[in-house]
Amino acid sequence: MTRRRPRGRKSSRRKRNHKPFSWFKLLLVLLLVLGGYVVWLDIQVTAQFTGKRWSLPARVYARPLDIYAGQELTPEQLAAELDALHYRPVRSVQQAGQYSRNREEFHIMTRPFTFWDGEEPARNLRVSFTGDTVARLADRASGSAIALARLDPVLVGSFYPAHNEDRVLLQLDQVPAGLTDALIAIEDRGFYQHHGIAPLAILRALWVNIRAGGVVQGGSTLTQQLVKNFFLTSERSLVRKINEAIMAVLLELHYSKDEILEAYLNEVYLAQDGNRSINGFGLASYFYFERPLVELSVDQYALLVGLVKGPSYYNPWKHPERARARRNLVLDVMAEEQLISKEDAARARSQKLGVGSVGRKAINTFPAFLDLVRRQLQTDYRDEDITSEGLTIFTTLDPQAQWQLERVLAKRLDELERGLGMERGKLEGAAVVTSVQGGEVLAMAGGRDPNFAGFNRALDAYRQVGSLLKPAVYLTALEQPQRYTLATLLDDSPLTYTARNGDIWEPKNYDKQNHGMVPLYQALAHSYNISTARLGLTLGVDKVINTLRRLGVEQKLNPYPSLLLGAVEMSPFQVTRMYQTFASGGFATPLRAITAVLAVDKTPLQRYPLNVRAAIEPGPDHLITTALLYVVREGTGRSVYQSLPADRNVAGKTGTTDDLRDSWFAGFTGDRLGVVWVGRDDNQSTGLSGSTGALRVWRDLFAGFNDSGWTQTLIDGIEYHWIDPATGLLADAGCLDAVQLPFIKGSAPTESAPCVRGLGSLPEAVDWFKELFE
Amino acid sequence: MRSIDTSRRLLSVLALLALLQGCSPTYYPPRGERLPPPVVEPGSQLPGEQRQPPPVVSVPQPAPVTRPQPPAVVALLDTAERQANSGDLEAAAASLERAIRIDPRNPVLWYHLATVRLSQGDAQAAEQLAAKSNSLASGNTVQQSRNWQLIARARREQGDERGAATADQRARELAGR
Repeated sequence: MTRRRPRGRKSSRRKRNHKPFSWFKLLLVLLLVLGGYVVWLDIQVTAQFTGKRWSLPARVYARPLDIYAGQELTPEQLAAELDALHYRPVRSVQQAGQYSRNREEFHIMTRPFTFWDGEEPARNLRVSFTGDTVARLADRASGSAIALARLDPVLVGSFYPAHNEDRVLLQLDQVPAGLTDALIAIEDRGFYQHHGIAPLAILRALWVNIRAGGVVQGGSTLTQQLVKNFFLTSERSLVRKINEAIMAVLLELHYSKDEILEAYLNEVYLAQDGNRSINGFGLASYFYFERPLVELSVDQYALLVGLVKGPSYYNPWKHPERARARRNLVLDVMAEEQLISKEDAARARSQKLGVGSVGRKAINTFPAFLDLVRRQLQTDYRDEDITSEGLTIFTTLDPQAQWQLERVLAKRLDELERGLGMERGKLEGAAVVTSVQGGEVLAMAGGRDPNFAGFNRALDAYRQVGSLLKPAVYLTALEQPQRYTLATLLDDSPLTYTARNGDIWEPKNYDKQNHGMVPLYQALAHSYNISTARLGLTLGVDKVINTLRRLGVEQKLNPYPSLLLGAVEMSPFQVTRMYQTFASGGFATPLRAITAVLAVDKTPLQRYPLNVRAAIEPGPDHLITTALLYVVREGTGRSVYQSLPADRNVAGKTGTTDDLRDSWFAGFTGDRLGVVWVGRDDNQSTGLSGSTGALRVWRDLFAGFNDSGWTQTLIDGIEYHWIDPATGLLADAGCLDAVQLPFIKGSAPTESAPCVRGLGSLPEAVDWFKELFE
Repeated sequence: MRSIDTSRRLLSVLALLALLQGCSPTYYPPRGERLPPPVVEPGSQLPGEQRQPPPVVSVPQPAPVTRPQPPAVVALLDTAERQANSGDLEAAAASLERAIRIDPRNPVLWYHLATVRLSQGDAQAAEQLAAKSNSLASGNTVQQSRNWQLIARARREQGDERGAATADQRARELAGR
């Protein structure tokens, strides 16, 4: 401007007669330029503000806890769930997010939450327990019974966009008026009067800055602050300041105070958490106080408002005294402005800062599980949708099962290493827990350190499965009922197999013994290699591969005889899929980690439905699961009962690979299936078999579940007979070791065993009699 | 020593009494009647075992045909029905899956889920879910017949007329029982 003026004068001297016209022209040009510039800014402001969509990370939630009468749930589990949700234990429940506990009775005011199937309202619940069962669920106000209620789900993690801005969007009516009043009182007293800029405040700031010889104070209105955050860089220059002022005025021309305030509340920077910035009051409330904004008290609002001035300078964890002083200043201003009474202010001043625990904010609580969620999402969504569209993702994770798994895995691996005299940290483990009928992934461990977000062994560690594969061999046999039953005697004598290329294969048993003729179910129960190999060779390796395919095993399988004894590499997750089919009555059930996804406006986007596919006929499945029950009752899995109650049926299988490199156990109760792998990352020997390693982790885990035992469903076409295991023939009371085995109708032996002497049934009565008269 | 022997004998007598009370003198107990657990094989206990493994598997019982539904499941069935009637089939499916989470072996729930899937036009999923219901509905011929009717419809929609006819036949047989 200043340089142009002399130039203008110079030219006017040369052409005197044109002087007035030139001045006018210049002014016009200037106005046009300025006007154009303002119009350009205006387009920018309106376009960006109207179209402003914050990129919002996806939020991942655990399954919500359903509560209903008759449910198997311990008071401790309910308390743990409430704790994880940061419900506050209080004497008398007044508002959402609080609970009280009087021994076996809980009063809970739940938080409202939008689920896939609609809004779950806040409820005032009374939950009464009898032992480990919910005896009654009622509404506290009316006293009437409620059939079913659910808590809000635990947030287990978020998928952040690359720039790492995180926020929880709020609408103005979701923000307590007390907070906005305090914010306006502190940051911009004239907010409702000015038109975007407050000249007096600017002059004051200018005076302060001139005296200080630099920019130390901003006279910015909330509108200007918003403009700065929204559209401009943080550079401090006069040009930027002018732009800011123009844009603030423009913003005020186009939008209401409420719209501007709402944007401000969501935009303002309030904390730094590692490389993640915490923006907006919605998220800041969770970040500092671990609960939603509506549940905060006055002193807590005041702290958040105070933090606007400088989140790191007033960081309540690092500088509690500064934070306290700042908060109290805010409270004083609030009292002066008569937003709160003097007494309330005094009471609030005396409160502790009340911030939550620092240090576990950005850590996605369960990285291995979140890894699975992300992979399953990636089949339907692009990466940028996952990180910026504000999706709400409901998962199948059961936090109770997950905590239990993390605890027992780390503890048991420590103990195993001590027992083996092994260097600490050498052993690794991985595990997957699912629901038996629904195939929902309830818990997952990718390694012994649950917070490590790196190599996920549950999904990516492909290891030989050893004897875990044997049930596929036996199932192949049992699908031919006219040739094989559970009672068929298998030959466990030494085997030498010569392949077509001349290679010789001589499998040996784990105990280096041969066991002669053994009934099929016992060969599996004791995991005999030789009889299994001979059976598999008779059936044909191709047939077994076909069975594996039906069980959901997808990777390349080489048709070598060694496959029969488990020379196949699978991840724990794939093993889970295979055993899931056994456990769910022969129906292959896709393992799901996600149940539903909501869009940012909480409208349903996608559901991941429960699907099943018949993979094994119910009859053969009944037989193979019976054999798996014997594994745990009599065979290699029996040490399960050192931790589990004797009346809880478990079906399962151990797996051990050459040189004790891998230790596996896969087992299921009536409710849950768990697959555990223990081994070393360098694939060296662990010194552990399936039953001395992985099985122990499994039983520690399941000892903490109050599952029902695995119960066979009696199906049409199956009949039970007493069998003499020594001969595989029909038994009666004369046969001391007789067992009851299921047969596909018409396949049971017709011949009686030599021990049958026509004494009738009930062999145990004979035993009791014998003992009585001895 | 003597006291141990006495108490052992006493236990045996008590056990015998229990046995005589609980058992009918039939040759092979009919299916569905609870059998006393078979004896544990002598010597099956291994050295180092702290606890004796419990006796082996007993014969499974058929699920009772009419079993009391937990109130939570009844409530969810009502909700699902309401949702289905108002045309929100996906929400109905979600409610039924929630019920299955509570009572996973309830064939009625799987059947209803199959029905919803069929209404949604997913005949293949419906057929599988009905088969799943069947696998849990042993002894419940009414439910099985319903499942086969549904399978017949699902097969017809998939263009499998022969399979549908077979399923219809099964449904009729079961209904006649």
